[in-house]
Amino acid sequence: MSRKLGALALALGILVCSMGLKTVLSSNNHSNGAVVIANGPEPWPGGSPAPSKP
Amino acid sequence: MSSSIITFIWYFGTALELAFVVCSLVRRSFLRYFFLNLYFLSALSSSVARDFALSQFGVNSHEYRYTYFYTDALLTLALYVALISLYAHVFGELRFGRYIRLTAVLLLLGTALFSYGVVAQSTERLSTNFAYVLSQNLYFVGLVLTYILWGAVLKLRESRTRIVQFVLSLGLYFSAYAASYALVNLASKSAEMYILAPVLGCFLPLSWTFTMWRHTDDSRLVPARLLAVAR
Repeated sequence: MSRKLGALALALGILVCSMGLKTVLSSNNHSNGAVVIANGPEPWPGGSPAPSKP
Repeated sequence: MSSSIITFIWYFGTALELAFVVCSLVRRSFLRYFFLNLYFLSALSSSVARDFALSQFGVNSHEYRYTYFYTDALLTLALYVALISLYAHVFGELRFGRYIRLTAVLLLLGTALFSYGVVAQSTERLSTNFAYVLSQNLYFVGLVLTYILWGAVLKLRESRTRIVQFVLSLGLYFSAYAASYALVNLASKSAEMYILAPVLGCFLPLSWTFTMWRHTDDSRLVPARLLAVAR
């Protein structure tokens, strides 16, 4: 039981650390708030997936 | 000029992804590193989907944009599973497998809930934004998990060359994207990413294929030597 709680606490801790890191990096972004990520060598379309409204 | 370079990088990276799967089969390690292979097989599938969308609609189209980011979310999920499988390799002898799986599932659920909470207020294009935010958040979770795994590799004195180099490559891959992100912020524009993102995308299949081809499961090294500073 305690190990299961430990797993839950560990998961929460990692999540908090990850989101904190993301917040730190995103707070300096003065373009569009999008964080660049990519998997694979395909051409990057740029920005976020939400298209601008016509 | 840049278009032909990007196309070359694309095909080169796709060939490297295929090469990893072929090397795994030749080295008879396909099942041993199944989730790493699954990631590259997913990457190959998404390459086909992206190629179709690109040829049909163009790089600036909404269709290519949606295809790119949806497949990217799936690939980030596959990379997360591959990373957890590396955890299982490192901690396998300690019989922590059950708790690693439990923590991984809880972490994935927590990330999904957090991502949903972020985009819940946006009723417009909820599924698209959810996929994008989940992918971003999983990327940062993967970054933190990789550094924790590298610490575990050093602490447990993991000596299997393949495992050590897989983890190191993954750490460099995640770190390179973080560095490129900082670079884009400094430059205040994202034009560099049109070349940089595909180049970085080639790094992981290149390093993992090299590791798979160059080393066997019996190869050993001392990770502490990687940290040794010449005096």
